[in-house]
Amino acid sequence: MNSILKYAGALLILIVLQLLIFNNIEFSGYVNPYIYVMFILILPAAIPSWILLLLSFMTGFVIDLFSGTMGVHAFASVMAGFVRPWALSLNVMAEAAEPDMSPSSYRNGFRWFLIYTVIVVFVHHLALFFVEIFSLRNFGHTLLRVMLSTAATTFFIVVFDFIRPRR
Amino acid sequence: MNFLLRYKTLILFLILEALALAMISSSHNYHQTVLYGAARNISGFFSRGLEKSTSYFRLRQVNEELVSENIMLRRRLEALVSAPQGSLETIRDTIRGINYTILNARVINNSVNKQKNFISLDKGSKQGVTNGMGVASSEGVVGVVVGVSPNYSVVMSLLNTEFRLSASIARNDYFGSLAWDGINYRYARLSEIPHHVAVTEGDTIVTSGYSAIFPAGIMVGTLTGKQKRGGDFVSMEVLLSADFKKLTNVYLIGNLTSEERTTIEEEAVR
Repeated sequence: MNSILKYAGALLILIVLQLLIFNNIEFSGYVNPYIYVMFILILPAAIPSWILLLLSFMTGFVIDLFSGTMGVHAFASVMAGFVRPWALSLNVMAEAAEPDMSPSSYRNGFRWFLIYTVIVVFVHHLALFFVEIFSLRNFGHTLLRVMLSTAATTFFIVVFDFIRPRR
Repeated sequence: MNFLLRYKTLILFLILEALALAMISSSHNYHQTVLYGAARNISGFFSRGLEKSTSYFRLRQVNEELVSENIMLRRRLEALVSAPQGSLETIRDTIRGINYTILNARVINNSVNKQKNFISLDKGSKQGVTNGMGVASSEGVVGVVVGVSPNYSVVMSLLNTEFRLSASIARNDYFGSLAWDGINYRYARLSEIPHHVAVTEGDTIVTSGYSAIFPAGIMVGTLTGKQKRGGDFVSMEVLLSADFKKLTNVYLIGNLTSEERTTIEEEAVR
């Protein structure tokens, strides 16, 4: 019960930060950080995959609702939720399998967390930007946006991971 | 049943993605959906609060814009007053001649980084905003109102890949269609200009007045000189005169006779 409240609080903080601050940040039209993806990253390692998918959908849906982009963030978030278990098991070098623990650089090592974050964020942004434009026109330009934004989002998530409560 | 259990994650994944895609494809008329209307009121409330607290930082820039616009209007007034008023024909009926009404509004939410950018304004149907009104800043054309609630309205930005504007080259009145290609928020493309038309870098592009939304002659931008030829037509790159990252005050332009105009245009075609 306590941990559900903790995750609900994290979700609320991330959504408010995303809508009020990060949606208003953009560098030269290329870099748009979407830090709310962090919620999908920090859910407990052992969470059943169907709950993970439903929570991902819900998170994206709320972002869609408030930024007027019906379905785009929901689509990208479900994609991120789908690859997360795979990204989690891909890096077996750290003891990622502690079931109730939330993945973090503190517990699993900085390098592990960085790779894990980059994979999930990249998939999310790839889906997000290509579904938004809905064609392969300006392919190189869109790919550049995906990569630069992935770097920015990853940077902010790693920073937030350092300052979040370690428990 | 066994099959369903084994692939339940994959099946749920496919269902959710299909749902998201259905939402995306129905979002072309998203401003009419009830759900989005409710969200717009909530986010409009927050955006207005945020805009209020940050608007002070832009006061200097806003003042400069207003001063330069005042000077422009004074010059126009001076030209009208000092113009010789000799013959009867030049006297205009100033009451029946009014075709457009103008409201002012503040931008409370804006983006330039999506393919389909929208702008929220702090005026709605209570203040007389209706769908289809044109929106311009003192620098140039901004967009068209596509959604109205009692206190807020949503504008399809010129920086929206679905937006089309009838624009003409001010020097020779050749007109074409202006659209944003979704790449750089400072530039749009003017297409369908016959290739024999001579233009130079810096030529002014204004609204043509061929649609019922904008009156003719509102500033849009200037030609950069870059051209792309396709068939008998060229498309030209236009540097937009409105800086969409700095939008603060805008004007809503309502055409009082648009109904009359579209009615007769439709009747004539039929």
